Order: sequence, then structure tokens, then C-alpha cells
Amino acid sequence: MASENMESLVNRRYEHGFVTDIETETFPPGLDEGVVRAISARKNEPKFMLEWRLQAYRQWLEMREPTWAHVHYPQIKFNEISYFAAPKSDDDRPKSLDEVDPKLLETYEKLGIPLHERARLAGVAVDAVFDSVSVATTFKEKLYEAGVIFCPFSEAVREHPELIKKYLGSVVPRRDNFYAALNSAVFSDGSFVYIPKGVRCPMELSTYFRINAANTGQFERTLIIADEGSHVSYLEGCTAPMRDENQLHAAVVELVALEDAEIKYSTVQNWYPGDENGVGGIYNFVTKRGDCRGANSKISWTQVETGSAITWKYPSCILRGANSVGEFYSVAVVNNMQQADTGTKMIHIGPNTRSTIVSKGISAGKAQNVYRGLVRIMPQAHGARNHTQCDSLLIGSECGAHTFPYMEIKNPSAKVEHEATTSKISADQLFYCRQRGLSEEDAVNMIVNGFCKEVFKELPMEFAVEAQALLNVSLEGAVG
Amino acid sequence: MLEIKNLKTRIGDTEILRGLTLSVQAGEVHAIMGPNGSGKSTLALVIAGHDDYVVTDGTVTYNGKNLLDLEPEERAREGVFLGFQYPVEIPGVNNAYLLKAAVNAKRRHNGQGEVDAFEFLKLAREKMAALGMDPKLLNRGINEGFSGGEKKRNEVLQMTMLEPSLAILDETDSGLDIDALKAVAKGINTLRSPDRAIVLITHYQRLLDYVQPDFVHVLSEGRIVRSGDKSLALELEDKGYDWVREAASA
Amino acid sequence: MKQQLLSIAGVRDAVLQLPDDALTPMREAALAHLDEHGLPTVRNEDWKYTDLGPAIDISNRWLAAGARLDVGGDMDAAIAAITATIDANWLVIANGRIDDSRTTSINGLEFSRFSERPTPFDMNRPLANLNAALLRDGLRIQLSAATEKPLGLLIIDSADEEDGVSQASIEIDVAPGCDAEIIEYQASVGDGNHYANSIVTLHIGRSASTNYVRIQKRARSHVQTGRISATLDADSKLRMASYDMGGGLIRNDVDIDMSEPGADVIFSGLYIAGDGQHIDNHTKVDHRVGPTTSSQEYRGILNGNCRCVWNGKAIVHKGANGTDASQANHNLLLSDKAEIDTKPELEIYADDVKCSHGTTVGQLDAAALFYLRTRGLDKRRATEILTHAFAVDIVDRAPVAAARDAIATMVESRLADLVQDVAL
Repeated sequence: MASENMESLVNRRYEHGFVTDIETETFPPGLDEGVVRAISARKNEPKFMLEWRLQAYRQWLEMREPTWAHVHYPQIKFNEISYFAAPKSDDDRPKSLDEVDPKLLETYEKLGIPLHERARLAGVAVDAVFDSVSVATTFKEKLYEAGVIFCPFSEAVREHPELIKKYLGSVVPRRDNFYAALNSAVFSDGSFVYIPKGVRCPMELSTYFRINAANTGQFERTLIIADEGSHVSYLEGCTAPMRDENQLHAAVVELVALEDAEIKYSTVQNWYPGDENGVGGIYNFVTKRGDCRGANSKISWTQVETGSAITWKYPSCILRGANSVGEFYSVAVVNNMQQADTGTKMIHIGPNTRSTIVSKGISAGKAQNVYRGLVRIMPQAHGARNHTQCDSLLIGSECGAHTFPYMEIKNPSAKVEHEATTSKISADQLFYCRQRGLSEEDAVNMIVNGFCKEVFKELPMEFAVEAQALLNVSLEGAVG
Repeated sequence: MLEIKNLKTRIGDTEILRGLTLSVQAGEVHAIMGPNGSGKSTLALVIAGHDDYVVTDGTVTYNGKNLLDLEPEERAREGVFLGFQYPVEIPGVNNAYLLKAAVNAKRRHNGQGEVDAFEFLKLAREKMAALGMDPKLLNRGINEGFSGGEKKRNEVLQMTMLEPSLAILDETDSGLDIDALKAVAKGINTLRSPDRAIVLITHYQRLLDYVQPDFVHVLSEGRIVRSGDKSLALELEDKGYDWVREAASA
Repeated sequence: MKQQLLSIAGVRDAVLQLPDDALTPMREAALAHLDEHGLPTVRNEDWKYTDLGPAIDISNRWLAAGARLDVGGDMDAAIAAITATIDANWLVIANGRIDDSRTTSINGLEFSRFSERPTPFDMNRPLANLNAALLRDGLRIQLSAATEKPLGLLIIDSADEEDGVSQASIEIDVAPGCDAEIIEYQASVGDGNHYANSIVTLHIGRSASTNYVRIQKRARSHVQTGRISATLDADSKLRMASYDMGGGLIRNDVDIDMSEPGADVIFSGLYIAGDGQHIDNHTKVDHRVGPTTSSQEYRGILNGNCRCVWNGKAIVHKGANGTDASQANHNLLLSDKAEIDTKPELEIYADDVKCSHGTTVGQLDAAALFYLRTRGLDKRRATEILTHAFAVDIVDRAPVAAARDAIATMVESRLADLVQDVAL
């Protein structure tokens, strides 16, 4: 990235921390069956969906919060969270972008989301989820011509119930874990994608998530189905305003790749991380899982995690189909008091399945960064291969970098390799760069970007630039 | 251009420079020679602003400014270049990227616009060819996996791109074969100009066969103990450093 | 699957049967601790892959049958054979009874019993409570000068028809500046079920060095949980290697604590597992200050229906700058019924550190196998040669020279047995 951008970048703080002044309709805090019913009713859902939610809710009641992650936070009071917030004007939902509340559009402008004309230029179809509701989907018609369904989740429930019934919960079951169960009960919206057989999605699909209202949780649900021989690249971006309270974000993402299909899922996560003393910030407790159901299918996760007070997510691949491929490329940056416990699971079931894991963790300030990953080779997965590379970079002496890989190998023809290294930005490297006229901050950014290059190159172009910029912002003040 | 007066520095508890005085004018080439441990590299690093070295006494003035007040990057942007004896490796960071970022940092400092990317690359390639460098090195990590000779040529490449006013080259000749030495010397000679000063720090006089110095100084135990013209280098080669040490203690 | 619980009432009865001596308060405290905390279960992250069920079953049967120490046959012949194989100053703990008659009056070695001078016992180590509750007596060894022969610790147990349980607890203190060589050998007699639980607490004084070899050659019907807790003072060194040749269910724990600068540990391990075996090696190294260094490498060869676990953990505490920690674990999987669970962990709270780990799981190199066969070797022999080549580095690293030949012989014959069953 050009250095003129850096100069301005290092001087800014969390720039997405604005609050949009829009009238919202928010449910009173608290969760019971009534709230679940109200959410479902609010979205005019068919009965099967309500039943599904209620079962999830009952299962959730019997579950306990997980404690195994290497993160610390005060107990979440689930009864003080509001489980639904929607811009007021939702009653008469916009039929097209022209009818969208101009203030909302302004918000997306501020976020730099190419929602309107810019979207057309960029060739990216965008679904934007604001608090709990999907507010606009661009390019719907053009995609429809190609047979691609890309719409708000709530719309898919009404318009494509057969697909929802068939695939919802088929990758992440309702009771998979505490937060997945909670999401299944109260999820409000999200994106739905279906790529029909043999179709190569003509453009990148993208969703921007934003939490705006105070004291609300965001529980979006994303389901992507790539039918036989199809191909899709999907991008996801997230921001939230600066608030002193912690806000809960518990999303579920399910991907299904059928025979010969390929899904590339990229995330740039920039939820508000809290301030330097650890006040405020998003708890990002997310379940993401892809199922390579068909032979020769491929699911690739790329994530750049710079935000959130606490991140707890393990985008995973179930490699069921023969010769299927799973990939996980991750950059996780933590600064100040942030905590991240992230990684992946690669479950090899089919023969000749292959997986690649590249994880780059950067810790600064007093932050703690954990890579936690599982590679499991099942007995029937003949010829399975995994390679894992897991590198940590430390900036300063008060942060932590931890690596907890699990490898469970039950097949003798498997080849599994895992490597990990830890390094710091050395004083020699900094001095060398400064002698060449770079400021210390620029030098750090440059070195960090170099460290992450392997992952950035997996991101689609527009995102790669944004990701680098975010990285620089989140490391601001990390040295000196 | 550079005025060093009675400079004393220490690292930890060890005093290294013990009252060094040196004056370098624009257009001059100085060679500083001396045995291992005499403080040659320390001098270079202190001028560049390395904070491991504490200046306990003396002054360093550069174009009328107190150099010791400036951060390392400010010194660089003011035209001070250090060719490191041991250039660090920075994996993953593209060599061309650093080169461009450094050139632009300096241009911005001088109120100039950024270089045109295309022109820049063309220029860099030309200079690399002149130094006998493989153009592929431009796209590798900074000094990553470079041979000793490649690292030194890379330092000279950066110098010729940055066009400093004061270039200090710390043992840039060490570890080079004859061809590389000639190429490096050629690079240095192209920089010689009436408004630029070059300080060569070297252990042996062989670089001085190719880059003729105007002055030669001998550094011993943190002080310049002898100065002269280029014949002093030959005399040193002949008599060895013990001769200097004896002269110094006498 | 709910784990069978250890009968606390049974343990209480067994404690009462032991002589009322200076250790009684310790046993009672341990019993209370055991009652409160129980034994680790698979829900505990450190025991995720190893279920102590078989140990508990044996213990409950043993407790129900009266908790007698000597349930098996005579061990004299086996003890004589082992002590003749390796030339060392042998101490024997047989079915939990200490016999130090072979090692009286050796200059530089001093022995005492826990019962003579009870000292606080760290109960927070898993299974330490069980160990302390049922401990007949513990052995304290002071090494104050290098001895001509290494110190041998033979922990041997015998069980036939009746199930047996034994505890061993040994505290070793290596004096500052002293060089020590120690061999720990765990063995079985008879083919009855036995559960042996041992704890070795090793303290290495300033500038002292200790070379430690650990050999485990138990019967398939034996369960072993063995722990070594080592603390290293400034500038001390520990060189260690462990060899798991036998056993049914084996769980070894190595805890190394470096709280003074200059401490330096290099250790390695070899586990060879065949049908019906479960071998779990857990290691944990605490770098509390810098500069301290640790380096470990474990290798495993697995064949038949077996499972091995390796979990290496290095913790670099805040401020422990100058730490250098490396971990490696390499495994050969020869059977489709074998499972390896490997988990190299780093927890780092300081920035000026060098930490790395590498883990591989794979098979014999097909090209090498083919090459050997073109030279006229049959598949079994070629496999034997290649598995041996994989193991030999660890054998060569045995830091006690007196034990090296015996280990080499053991590994060779164990591998020859193992490859008999390789599906060719």
C-alpha cells in the first residue's frame, strides 16, 4: 500500500465508531419463549421456522456457556440484552434502494460500502445488515438472471422454504454449542445464497454487518449453498459504534458445497474493540462451518480479524466428499486489552481430502492472542493431507501469543505437518527502516504487512487493501 | 557539513568513543580505518542515531543542525545515509517496497511529490544492472536469503537511489569478491559530487584502490589518532595497526 | 460414558490398614483431597485422550479384596536379571516396598524415608493425592557427589490372579555443582492386572547437572501413571530421555520448572506401541525467568490397534525474556487401527523469545522401502530397518551411557516384534 495512506491511517483511531441517529424499534431486554415468538411473528415466518426456533430455545436453556477458551470476561447477563432491533421504517420495507432511508445509505457511505452506484462499478453485490435487519440487497435482478439467489435470510425463509428446510442446521446443528443454540432461537436476519448447478456466480457477493443500537445483540444467520459444479466468492465486513458497554454478536454461518462446487468466504472483521483500558467492545462469539459434502468440492475461509474485545471463532471445514479441499487463512491482530481465541477445525472424512491452514497472529499492548486448531483424520480418510503453519508476532513485552493445535490422526496413510514459530519485531529491523527514513509506526506497519502477506494474497483485491489499512489502524500506538 | 567534536559514547557501562573529533566538508571522501573494536561501527551507528549508544559528551553538527537532537528517520530524510555492516533481513517485506517508501519519505520531507511508480522501477532496474544485481532481488524480502555480496550491493543500491548528502559506508567492502568490489566502488564513485560527502569505514585498504579518499583517519581506542592523505592507508597496510597503537600510546 | 468412580470408602479402609506412623497426617490430608477432587477425568483438558477407567477398575477390585500390597508372585529373579543388565547402584521399590540394601554406604549418596522426616507434599499434581493417601513410605535421596555408577531406581510390581495397586514416591535432591546420573526403570512380573502410580520429585541445585533415563517395560496387563516433577536452579542442566517399550495403559507426565536464569533442559522420548496399548506422554515446561532454554523431541512408532498421545506444553511467563523453547514430535503410523493424538502447545507472555514447534505424522518412506527391496531385503526386514532408523536418534541420545546398550537392545527387539504384525 502506498505510504501516503499510512500517514493518515496511523493518525486515526477507530473510524467506524459513529452512531447513526435513526429511529429504531427495539424489543425490551430479556429472552423467553414470548420473545422468540415475537421475532418470528415480526418476520412473518412460516410455522416450521417458529417451531425450529422454539426447539433451539429449549435446547439452549439446558446448555451452559463454554469456558474452555483462553479468554476472560465478566459473565454475560443474557436477560439484559435486547434480542431484536430494527430501523423503524422496516414496516414498509424498501422495495428498492431508492426507498431506503437516506440516513442508512449515508451510514453505508461512511463505512465505505459500495452500496449504490459504486456497487455497480465495483461489480460487487451487497447485502447490508443493520442491527438485526437486512436493509438492502443490490444487484438482485442481475443475479436472478444467472439463477443466483442472494437475499436477506428472512426473505429466503418466506420465498424458498424448501431450501431452508433442507439445509438450515444441516452443518451447524441447533445444539452444536451454546451460542449456536442461542442464535438458532433468536436469529434476526442475515444473508442467504444459493448458486445453482454449474453456475459461476457472476460477481463477488458481499454482506456488511453493523451493530448500531445500544444494548442489542446481533444474531445473524448466513447460509450459502453451492450446488454441483458452481462457484461463489463471498465477502463479509463488520463494524460497530464505540460504546462503553460490551455488545454480544453471536452469528452462525453455514456453507454447503456439493460435488465439484467451490465456496470462498472472506471476512474482514472490524467490530469495535473497546478502548485502551478494555472498556466496551464487541464479544464476537461466532460459529462458522463449511461442509464439503460433494466429491472434489472446496471451501476456503480467509479472515482478517482486527476488531472485537473478544473473538471466539473457528471457521471449520468438514471434508466429507472424496478429494475435497479445505483451506483456512487467518490474520488475527490484537492490541490493547483485546483477546482472541481463534483458529479452525479440519475434519477429514473422505479419501484424499486435503487441508491447508495458515495462521498469523499479531499481539501488541496487553492483548492475548490464541490459535486453537483441530486437524482430525478419520479412519476412512485414506490419503488425507494437512499442512499447518502457525506464526506469532509479538510487539511489546506485555502481550501474549499462544498456540494450541490438536492433531488426531486415525489413518496410517495420512500426512500431517504442523509448524509454528514465534518472533518479535526486532529493534534492529526497526532501526534499519528508520535509517532509511521511515517512521517507527510505518516501519511496524510495513513489517506486519510483510508478515501477513501469505494471507492477504488470498483476499479479493478490494478487501486486501481494506485489510491492510485496518491492520495499521489497530496497531496504532503499539510501539514507542 | 559534518562536525564532530570531542564525542564520547558508551554502550552499557563500556565507553567506546573517547573524545572523537572529525570534520567532513562537502565534496570530500574520508576513509576511517582502524583495528577491530576501535569504535568504527559505533561512530557510524551514533551518527545514524542508534539508541543503544549513549552520548555522554561532545557535539555532532550536520549542516549547522544538532544531529543528536534528531530521530534516526529525520536524519535519514535530512540526507544522512548509513550503509550497514550487517544489513538485517526483514522477511516478507518487499525490497522494492522499502526502496520506494524510503525515497518517498525523503521527497515528502523536501516538499516534493511522490515518484512515479513506473519511472521509479525503471530507474531502480538501471541502477541494479550497473551494480550487477539480479533484478529479481527487487521482489524478494529485504535482504532475505541474500548472499553477503548481495546484501552489500543492496545497501549501495539504496544509497544511489536515495542520493544522500552524507553517506557513511560501514565495511561495505567486506566479504566481496573482486568483481563485486569493483561494482560497489563504481556505485560509490558515481555519487561523488561537490555537494556530497562520503565516509568510508574499512578495515583494509583494498576498497581505497577503487575509491580514492581525500583524507584517511586512523581510529584507535575511540579516538582519531592519526590523519593524513591516502598514503596513510598504504602505510597502515604495510606496517599494521600495532604501529598505530604504539604511536597512540606514545 | 460415565467414568467408574474410585471407591473413596475403600481407600479410607486401606489408609487405616497402613501402619500408624509419621505419615498418617499426610495420608489423611491426601484422602480428604481425593474425596474432594477425585481423579482426573476425560473432561479435564489434560486428560482428554486418556481415560483412567482401567486404573480405577483395578483399584476398586484391589480395595474390595483387602488392599494387600503383595498380591503377586516372587520378583527376585526378575530383579536380579534387570540389575545385572545395567551396571548401576540399584534401589528397588517392589510392590510399593522400598529396598535399599544394595546401595548402602556409597560415597555421595544418602538415603532417608519420608516417615523419618515428613515434609509437605504438593497435592495439586494430578494423582498425587492418591499416591500420598496409599503411600507406604517414600524415599528421599541426596546426591552430593558424582558416583562411579549411575543411581538405578527400579520400580517393579507383581500381580497374578489378584489385582494389585502400588504407589512409589521418590524425592531426589542434586546438590549444587554436582553431576548426577539416574536411571528409572519400571517393570512388571506376572500377567495379572496391576496399577502402579509413581511420583519422582527432582531438584537440581545451582550449576548442577543431571542425566536421567527412564525406561518403561511393563506388561500389557499393567497400568502405569508416572510423574517426574523437576525444578532447576540457576545454571543447572537436565538431560533426559524416556523409552516406552511396553505397558497396557501408560500415562507419563514430565513437569519442568525453571525459575532461575541459566537453566537448560534437553529431553527426548521414544514410544513404541502395538496392539492393545495406550501410551500418553504429557510434558510441561515452565520458563519463569530468562534466559532459560528447553528443547524436546518425542518420536512414536505405532502399529496394530493402539493409541498414543503426545502433549507438549511450553509456558513462557511474563518477563522471561531470553527464553528459547522448542518442541518436536514425529510419528510413524503403520496400521489403520492406530491413532495418534498430538498437541504441541505454546503459551507465551514475553516478547524476546525464540519458540517453535514442529509435528509430523506420516508413514515409512515408500521410496526407501522400495530401494531396500531392490537390494534384496524382504518387506518385513526393510520395515524393521526403516523403523529402527527412525528410532535410533532417540536411542543415541540416552544421556546415561551405562544404560545405552541395554536400551538399544530393547528397542531392537521391541521393533522386531512390532513389525511382525505390520500388514505387508
